[in-house]
Amino acid sequence: MSAPSDSPDDIRLRSEIDRSLRHPVMFFFTSGAAWLAVAILLGIISSAKVHSPGFWDSCPWMTYGRVQPAHETALVYGWGCQAAFGMIIWLMSRLSRQPCRNAGTILMAGHVWNLALSLGVIGILAGGGTGMPWMEMPSFAWIPMLLSYIAITIWSMVQFKVRPQGHTYISQWYLMAALIWFPWFFGSAHFLVHGFSGSPLGAAGVNAWFHSAMLLLFFAPVAIGMAYYLVPKVTGRPVYNYALSLIGFWSLAIIAPWAGLQKLTGAPIPNFLPYLGAFAAILFAVPAAVAGINLLKTAAADGETVNVSPTLRFTVWGLVFLLALGAASLLLNSPGIATVTQFTIANYGFDVLGVYGFFSFVAFGAIYFIVPRITRREWLSRRLIKWHFFVSIYGVISIVVVTLFGALMQGVAQETTYDSLWYNASSTVYPYAVLNTVAWCFLLISNFFFFIHLTLMWLRLGRRSSHPTLLVHRHSGSPHGPEGDIDNTGTASAH
Amino acid sequence: MQESNKPDLDDSLNVTESHDRMLREAAAVSREKHVDEGGREPVSLWIFASCAVIFIFAGLALGNIGSLGSLFDYDQTVKPGYVRLDLSEDGAQGPPPAEALAVYIKKGQKIYSSKCQGCHGGDGKGGPAYPSLAGSEWALGETQRFSMIILGGLMGPSSSGKDYGVMPSQKAGMTAVDLAGVMTYVRNSFGNEAGDVITEEMAAHALKLAEERSDPNQPLSKDELDEKYLAPLEGEPLDPTMMIDPVSLQPVEGAAG
Repeated sequence: MSAPSDSPDDIRLRSEIDRSLRHPVMFFFTSGAAWLAVAILLGIISSAKVHSPGFWDSCPWMTYGRVQPAHETALVYGWGCQAAFGMIIWLMSRLSRQPCRNAGTILMAGHVWNLALSLGVIGILAGGGTGMPWMEMPSFAWIPMLLSYIAITIWSMVQFKVRPQGHTYISQWYLMAALIWFPWFFGSAHFLVHGFSGSPLGAAGVNAWFHSAMLLLFFAPVAIGMAYYLVPKVTGRPVYNYALSLIGFWSLAIIAPWAGLQKLTGAPIPNFLPYLGAFAAILFAVPAAVAGINLLKTAAADGETVNVSPTLRFTVWGLVFLLALGAASLLLNSPGIATVTQFTIANYGFDVLGVYGFFSFVAFGAIYFIVPRITRREWLSRRLIKWHFFVSIYGVISIVVVTLFGALMQGVAQETTYDSLWYNASSTVYPYAVLNTVAWCFLLISNFFFFIHLTLMWLRLGRRSSHPTLLVHRHSGSPHGPEGDIDNTGTASAH
Repeated sequence: MQESNKPDLDDSLNVTESHDRMLREAAAVSREKHVDEGGREPVSLWIFASCAVIFIFAGLALGNIGSLGSLFDYDQTVKPGYVRLDLSEDGAQGPPPAEALAVYIKKGQKIYSSKCQGCHGGDGKGGPAYPSLAGSEWALGETQRFSMIILGGLMGPSSSGKDYGVMPSQKAGMTAVDLAGVMTYVRNSFGNEAGDVITEEMAAHALKLAEERSDPNQPLSKDELDEKYLAPLEGEPLDPTMMIDPVSLQPVEGAAG
């Protein structure tokens, strides 16, 4: 694939791959963005209830115990997983140089996924939640979701199998790993919890492992794999050190499956499990740092491109958040700090940093790269992208800083006023909770820009131009006329 | 690699190809650069150094050593005075734990009001026909003597030397907890400040002593008390400030002492 062959055949193949995937990928991205809006709205409500418990308290569907899990479920399975599916099927097709021959099946499976998820979220809001983070949906939802997952991604595995060259790029390593890991931990965890009427303690342990695996074994490899494609692709520079990327992959594969049980520190489970979990969770900083530094070093060599490319701007910030995620994993799971933060909002902040900070920023970068190729239209507005970027970055940084610092305050209060009501300790984070709500409102605004823009692209209302939408005034003086000039390459034939 | 990088369609493609309709539609695809995995830049030492630091932290967590603290030091995580509510029965919330002295006094107050108050009065001062418990040497003195008066009754002169006649035995229906409570109550009320707790165990000893008498319900005289019962009741003393469960009277787990 590194062969410099920009022959018309080569371009035709890539173009054909993109066209074959247009409908499923656009479905996953737009549906994901819609779910992201739902997740953010629910996030605002649940965050508001932390500091104003009277807010909508007469409506049982809108109580904190239902809205908060519905918010996380919509964020993880509605936005996160669907964005990941879009990235996986597109990138695997591109890297394996195979047009997708099963777009209809994938599209149908995507609808099944959405249906199961919608019923699951309604089930949570109706009071049928299981009470286990990230496994909140009632037990009917997981089997259709697992089956539709298989129907969506099995074709990517087939494409990988029949790829023309024997060589495997690092992104394919990461994607294949995620493709195999997801059914493993999703299926086994749900089967152990819903398939057996075992002890609730065992279910709590399985859930803690699943929660960690979802982030470290699915979102992390998908986003890192995508970033390993986007950064060299857009800058046109070789990866800083390719051997280092393989070290990063194998360290993730060896370390990440062991993490998770540190959440149950102090619970009556075998003593070695929380130790092992903390050990692995701290070590997650190694693959995070290796991948993050390797790609940031690659991007740093071309700061100009990073600045003007919407794709790279989001991706590079996603990588910065990856480094922050590794550092947070190290700090939050160190025993001295874990005792303070174990039962605080720090866990939520860590999840938001991982899902919205790291994963979503890489996913936004990927969407800004992929969508013009599969719709054959350029992004409409530089300003919408800029607004999306800046408001997102302020929102995410605010939430992470607020929850992590608030968690320290809450944890210290819990440790020092342990003989009084827990309410007293939790009320010390009141100002942080208010800030958290404000930050989620920021994200709602940013997602508004993103969703509008993406929907217009989905409707094929994008700019017909051979010039990419970059974050600078560059083409205003060009012989092709001012930027935004419609269709200077002739009438496109509709497909 | 430079010739393979085609940042823009119009700059780098030849004219014939650029007029191809398919390429026009696939402008974004055409201007793509290639992914190059040939990067072999030497890895900076600080990357390995930071990974080593991560390994040290992970090792400290796994080995449970160093100044970072421990995941499983219950002495550290469950602190003295930590209050754990009892959620055992039917999920119902039990009463919160309280200091031992207060718990026993509260129990004794109920017994006192049903068995003793009629004669000795609500304020323990007694009256013309009944002796006062406030400041009484026998109430505040040796606990065996005090318990035997309650259980067996008293005839003849009281501690003040005045003869009030016969006090009947109060043993009927009296459990060890009741006796412990009422003794603790009297010794710490009406201005009395013994400050100690008569525990359930001590009261059980008193009941045993009463049973060992030839006629348990026969009131005792001053002579008999002085002869046999001038001793403290046997049993582990209890710290009056110890946090105990008001129902089971057992010390609460993780409490001080």
